[in-house]
Amino acid sequence: MLVTLIAVLLVLLAFAGTPLFVIITAAALLGFYFSGVDLSVISIEIYRITETPLLLALPLFTFAGYLLSESNTSKRLVALSRGVFGWLPAEMVAVTLFACALFTAFTGATGVTIVALGALLYPALKHVGYSDRFSLGLVTSAGSLGLLLPPSLPLILYVVVAQQLNLGEAISVTDAFVAGILPTLLMLFLLGIWSLWVTRKDVIPLTPFDRGEAWRALKDAKWELPLPIFVLGGIYGGLFAVSEAAAITALYVLIIEVFVYKEIRLRELPRITVEAMTVVGGILLILGVSLAFTNFLIDAQVPLKLFEWTQSQITSKYTFLALLNIILLVLGAFLDIFSALVIMVPLILPVAVGYGIHPIHLGIIFLANMQLGYLTPPVGINLFIASYRFNRPIDDIYHASMPFLLVLLVAVLIITYAPLLYY
Amino acid sequence: MNSGPGSNKHIVQNIMLLRLHRLLLRVEQSLLVVILLTTIIFAVTQIFLRNFFHAGIPWGDSLVRILVLWLGLIGAMIASRNHRHIKIDIVSRHLSSTRQIWLRRFTDIITAGVCFIVAWHAFRFVLIEYQDGMRAFESVPVWLTEAIIPFGFLVMSIRFLLLAALPQKLQAD
Repeated sequence: MLVTLIAVLLVLLAFAGTPLFVIITAAALLGFYFSGVDLSVISIEIYRITETPLLLALPLFTFAGYLLSESNTSKRLVALSRGVFGWLPAEMVAVTLFACALFTAFTGATGVTIVALGALLYPALKHVGYSDRFSLGLVTSAGSLGLLLPPSLPLILYVVVAQQLNLGEAISVTDAFVAGILPTLLMLFLLGIWSLWVTRKDVIPLTPFDRGEAWRALKDAKWELPLPIFVLGGIYGGLFAVSEAAAITALYVLIIEVFVYKEIRLRELPRITVEAMTVVGGILLILGVSLAFTNFLIDAQVPLKLFEWTQSQITSKYTFLALLNIILLVLGAFLDIFSALVIMVPLILPVAVGYGIHPIHLGIIFLANMQLGYLTPPVGINLFIASYRFNRPIDDIYHASMPFLLVLLVAVLIITYAPLLYY
Repeated sequence: MNSGPGSNKHIVQNIMLLRLHRLLLRVEQSLLVVILLTTIIFAVTQIFLRNFFHAGIPWGDSLVRILVLWLGLIGAMIASRNHRHIKIDIVSRHLSSTRQIWLRRFTDIITAGVCFIVAWHAFRFVLIEYQDGMRAFESVPVWLTEAIIPFGFLVMSIRFLLLAALPQKLQAD
């Protein structure tokens, strides 16, 4: 009874706009207090951040991502993509999907894709003859792609949280990133097919492939071309750990943007550092306090009870997956991806493993569902960023991106029920 | 000479306080930049030493992992300057601006309270660690590396209290 009352109160406080780390901390404090545990345990749990070498990737990739989004990387990426896809009939659609996915992966899915790329792609799409509504929808929804590609931070954070749970099965970041490739390609493919179908009556003149321009784009981007090699070669090739790839990427990006391209001035660095670390601080703080909260939940055997209860209600793996989809979609509409990860994964993962779902598969399902959350009202962050960036009412953005949201939903359902995609 | 509000003495005091405030903000920001650059340089040096010389600074990895905690907490402190923490923002959008301000004052006070409780218990924890005298690496004691936790939460607590108390237009800083 008391527990229910406290839970309702905390949820109300969360909806009232209390920072989420405060809600989680309060829940952990109350939990420990009622079980008679000394409250200084909270700081022991927060200090556990220092026991996770993987977390080094978080500030370093975020910093690198902010540097990339502050310089003209977005322009070079779009120019390069046009060089690569210039021969295709729906060139600009391919460019939009490809550039957005790559940029989102590299900037850690913290919402800068639409800000950095939208201003280039939206006018370019309209310029070649696509309708306003189609262009707006494509750019807004493409801004959420790339969440499952390295070095996306949510996937790294998922592995960190999953590793804390000691499920017996070791899961690695590399496995997670390998598992993310096919689902991403599926999303790109379905969005591409849908775009071709919906614009089949639009007259889009073919742009002749300009070899000189493609070559120039390649030369302009020559310093940034090694970046995917560091990250992909490093992570997939096993050359170095993810945190090491992050360190090399951060230093390399810092050097090329400041000293080679000279697009970021030295005196701008403190401001960019502060902006990036504010985001990192928000995420790490939530992670730290939820380590404490998770520990309380495990002490109180909540995951076990939840597992037993679910098992008694649902026998089929597929019913469970359907329920999971619904819960995650609703959750994604209210919570940002990072909070959702640290709060829900400790509860859901043990239950899912009980139904024979592999932890990596669950991670991909979780994030793919959350990706839709970027586009669902009332709090879909991409809707707001697009509304702000293109100076359009939120309803316009919502209507424009709705069909794309449905296409992505189809992709998410395939990802959930067709485990063939992973191994 | 009266020393009420508006008098010269009062204005001088205010300017001094403002300068002190700006100085502290700059120290916080510089600390963040220094820690981030140190982290990057140390991490890259370790990779370099390990791969080319099969060696490494023995305490390098510990230092880097502790610096990540410090980056996170200082980042969180800075996020507390102007409500940049992750939150669900759906109710306040439907309220009038006066009600929004009062609701935010209310949640700010709750936040300040929770942060203070954590700061207090973290302080007790650090004190115990201080008495234990364990070392994190080399001659650096563990308590020092942990001290950022009570400090960070105390600063956040104070900042949220100020946000709740200050008039809205002064909150931009």
